[in-house]
Amino acid sequence: MLEDYPKEIMSKDGTPIILRPLSREDEQRLSEFLARIPEDERWFLRDNVADPAVMHEWIQRVDYDRILPLVAVTQDDNTIIANVRLYRRASECLRHIGHIRVMVDPAYRDQRLGTWLLLDTIRLAMSVGIEKLVAEFVSGVEDAAVNAAHKLDFFEQAVLKDYVKDREGRYRDLVIMVKTLHRYWSDF
Amino acid sequence: MSGELGQGAMTATTLKADILDTPNGTITICHKCAPCLFSTLQLDPGLGNFSHYSSIILKLEVFEKIASAREGRVALALVENNTVVGYLACWYPDRGERWSKLGELMYEMGAVEVSRNFRHVGIARRLISCILADDFFEDRIAYMNGFSWHWDLDGSGLNMAEYRKMVMSLLKVHGFQEFYTNEPNVALRQENVFMARIGSRVSAAQQQRFRNLRFGIADHG
Repeated sequence: MLEDYPKEIMSKDGTPIILRPLSREDEQRLSEFLARIPEDERWFLRDNVADPAVMHEWIQRVDYDRILPLVAVTQDDNTIIANVRLYRRASECLRHIGHIRVMVDPAYRDQRLGTWLLLDTIRLAMSVGIEKLVAEFVSGVEDAAVNAAHKLDFFEQAVLKDYVKDREGRYRDLVIMVKTLHRYWSDF
Repeated sequence: MSGELGQGAMTATTLKADILDTPNGTITICHKCAPCLFSTLQLDPGLGNFSHYSSIILKLEVFEKIASAREGRVALALVENNTVVGYLACWYPDRGERWSKLGELMYEMGAVEVSRNFRHVGIARRLISCILADDFFEDRIAYMNGFSWHWDLDGSGLNMAEYRKMVMSLLKVHGFQEFYTNEPNVALRQENVFMARIGSRVSAAQQQRFRNLRFGIADHG
């Protein structure tokens, strides 16, 4: 499953980048990466990863059967510049569903990193038997990610109106996008 | 088992061949077939046009054309010495293709197929290994495009994901690995896969040019 990593990609501006699984040794690098994510975006994460104790606990307990965390790092100094997590429920009734979450360092946006990470995750999901991928995006905050998902045939399945609150206490819509990995995968 | 073969329909040429004993009979794997060989052969009915699937090569003349081209290679799996039940055809990329920008560094494993009537006995693996046994490949990057529109899902009973995995497993055994590229045909469908085997004498600089080209950056090195 993860034996094919690391994989080489290249950003739009020609920067060599490596995709690889997150390891426990990445704790400091991941903290630094998350610190570069604007607070308005970090606000919507489910765990308070800005707290070093939460981060330590999370990274030490990563269960690859439930979460497949991948990172994009710069080839020259191994700095984490994007990450994606593919979550899978243990329960048999939901085992065919994968939830994904992608984040990209602001300095590396508009470089197709999100698209490469999504594509890689789709292939990884397929290899572990996932049939549907689900991604949630906060409207008005993660619109670039919504566009990247659209390009890879994710479709808007539902919008939960006024579902989450931003830092200022304003309600925002949560967009739920789904990609079905067909039996005949790209049958359209 | 291997040796020189020159009997029956193949008297026009002698060629290096391996013998593969299978439950479906004895299969002869012929390495790098000469252009004069093909006119005496026939295709097994398990290679051809089916609903949802068509063989990549349907006419023996195409093999002749490939084998006649500069460094073109065709390996065949034959039963009874004159019926083609599997093939691997390789060539330099066409000038219109991205990979041709690296000159003779890139070499395409263009088409591999086994008849529906002779699958699961290791023919494809033998065809690939006999072609790759040539030292020629140590100075080159051999690549194969796994385009899902060529996959025989009905005949194999596999779904896209399983077929993709099967293609990758088949090639990994021979030192190929998946590489990401934005080459439009590969990128057209998410299940497509681009795999390459980097020869042992390919330099770091050549590998860098290959990497650049995978993402559309060509140079004139």
